[in-house]
Amino acid sequence: MSSKHEILNALKLSALTNHPMPSIDVAPRVEDLVGQFETNLKTVAGTLHREGGLAALQAKVDELIAQGLQVISLVEGVTANRDVPPTAHELRDIDYAVIPGDVGVAENGAIWVNNKNLGHRVTPFICENLILALPIHKIVPNMHQAAKEVTLDAGEFGVFIAGPSKTADIEQALVVGAHGACSLNVYLV
Amino acid sequence: MAYQHNHEAMGSQVHAYKADIFCRDETRVDWHSKALWLLREKRDRAAGSLPEWEQLRQLGSEIKLHTLTNLAQYLETFEQNCLANGIKVHWAKDGAEHNRIVHEILASHKVKKLVKSKSMLTEECHLNPYLEQRGIEVIDTDLGERIIQLAKMPPSHIVVPAIHMKKEEVGDLFHDKLGTKAGESDPLYLTRAARAHLREQFLSADAAMTGVNMAIADKGAVVVCTNEGNADMGANLPKLQLHSMGIDKVVPDIDSAAVLLRTLARNATGQPVTTYSAFYRGPQVDGEMHVIIVDNGRTEMMKDKILAESLKCIRCGGCLNTCPVYRRSGGYSYNYTIPGPIGIAVGATHDNTNSIAWACTLCGSCTYVCPTKVPLDKIIHHHRRLKAEAGKLPYGKNAYMPLVGKFMASTTLLNCSMGAARTALRILPGSLLKPFSGAWGKYRELPVAPNSSFEAWFKKHRSL
Repeated sequence: MSSKHEILNALKLSALTNHPMPSIDVAPRVEDLVGQFETNLKTVAGTLHREGGLAALQAKVDELIAQGLQVISLVEGVTANRDVPPTAHELRDIDYAVIPGDVGVAENGAIWVNNKNLGHRVTPFICENLILALPIHKIVPNMHQAAKEVTLDAGEFGVFIAGPSKTADIEQALVVGAHGACSLNVYLV
Repeated sequence: MAYQHNHEAMGSQVHAYKADIFCRDETRVDWHSKALWLLREKRDRAAGSLPEWEQLRQLGSEIKLHTLTNLAQYLETFEQNCLANGIKVHWAKDGAEHNRIVHEILASHKVKKLVKSKSMLTEECHLNPYLEQRGIEVIDTDLGERIIQLAKMPPSHIVVPAIHMKKEEVGDLFHDKLGTKAGESDPLYLTRAARAHLREQFLSADAAMTGVNMAIADKGAVVVCTNEGNADMGANLPKLQLHSMGIDKVVPDIDSAAVLLRTLARNATGQPVTTYSAFYRGPQVDGEMHVIIVDNGRTEMMKDKILAESLKCIRCGGCLNTCPVYRRSGGYSYNYTIPGPIGIAVGATHDNTNSIAWACTLCGSCTYVCPTKVPLDKIIHHHRRLKAEAGKLPYGKNAYMPLVGKFMASTTLLNCSMGAARTALRILPGSLLKPFSGAWGKYRELPVAPNSSFEAWFKKHRSL
């Protein structure tokens, strides 16, 4: 007998009696979604730029390029100085990646990013700093709404990103920038 | 190292013995206890800021219970959907089979270096030494895990595995292993050094392996949560990714995962959500993705209605942070990979020293903070009953517990001896009585004896 069937057979001896699936009906807090999002993004060490939209984002990218930094952009309408390389490993020297965010979550400051917009899956993790462009009307109150909004087709990869990479593994001292991006800036567009 | 002592020979004294070693350095115990209590306080603030917190705990509990009661069906759905997404699925009935499967996959791809993201399941299966013996270099990439891997220690906590180490000790270790400056103990400096070191590992790895926080049945996807991004740096660079999961990790759908994602980080560290909550629903282009579904004793636990509920656990570590015994005895005092209340719940059956079921005061704080309402104190109490029924009570308890039972059941005996005790406490010097109080009296004064028994007081004062 295969291990699969052994496991499934063993489960027939389970002592648990059937328990119904609960209905998930949690009241959302809908007032001032952008404000909630901004507060929570700050809590997770990210920064929100409310004004200026794509123009402000492009201005920021131009400034970074002028400083001699390597910037890649996957946001339509934002031009950077590096293209998506053929292999993921070649992203190792990217200073800033500019990526579109699909859905923002007000209650925790997380942003859903889908691999359709990443070039390589590793882009938002391997870059030294991350910039996300989020449409303002795509901010939802909580994770329950977000679960309805996100798209994750067969074969895909998606990730909720809440702030820059961080760790507190050495005596619980919070250090921003462990393996992933060392900073996160979010531009509302 | 203290935790490597031969504990088989010490039997049921193991937890007490190891805790005693930990407690020799009182300053360190206070520091350890405070560090973990800080997490508990952050957790309380995060929980308190959500009006629906209790509703989320209830939902979490019911979602997990529902899934567990239909586990075979959900696991099969999960497998079918994974296969449809191009994910290869393997089943392992125990740790040995899990390790064999992992090695076969890695060997067939000629993998030399594997980057691993924190997974308590692979710890449970002792995967690292298995692979290392077969010539595969295994790099743990979570900073805390990497620290203890370099120090050749097991984790002492399931979320903050190096919580027992001081920054000076990490500084010395990194100086020795990574060539950082001598005497440097600044966490920012040390973290940056680890970042540079681990980036090289990610970029040169042939394969990546992670644990699984949730497996979504109706999508055929796995969810992996980290704050550091190490799981995703790992899984998205090499073309081969492996994910190990216990059979208890499956949930019906994304909506269920969303509920658990709301409580997981809040209950672990007080954050609103982990920095990265990644959903993998298939391999990258030209890549391969494997999921290994592991039993390793879980179906056995499900045969017992009370023990089965420990499989609702989502491994947030909240019960460890609140536990007064864990905080003051350290993770290494438990005779199991997973320490603290949840470690007792899932590990006591296999604890051949029969000591950890007693590493608990049954205060119930763990149950109170658990985000999926695992009845931990009830489970631990149940373990004691099972040990008693199997004739495996700790040394002494077998002999004197029946006598205590008879004694407590006799009004005359109890009243007489309590009277004698009160008199003794009043007239005899403390130094003479203290030895009778055993370990209890070590850090305590003996109580002031009341003038009469409660029963006498009650008879005198009750209104008729």
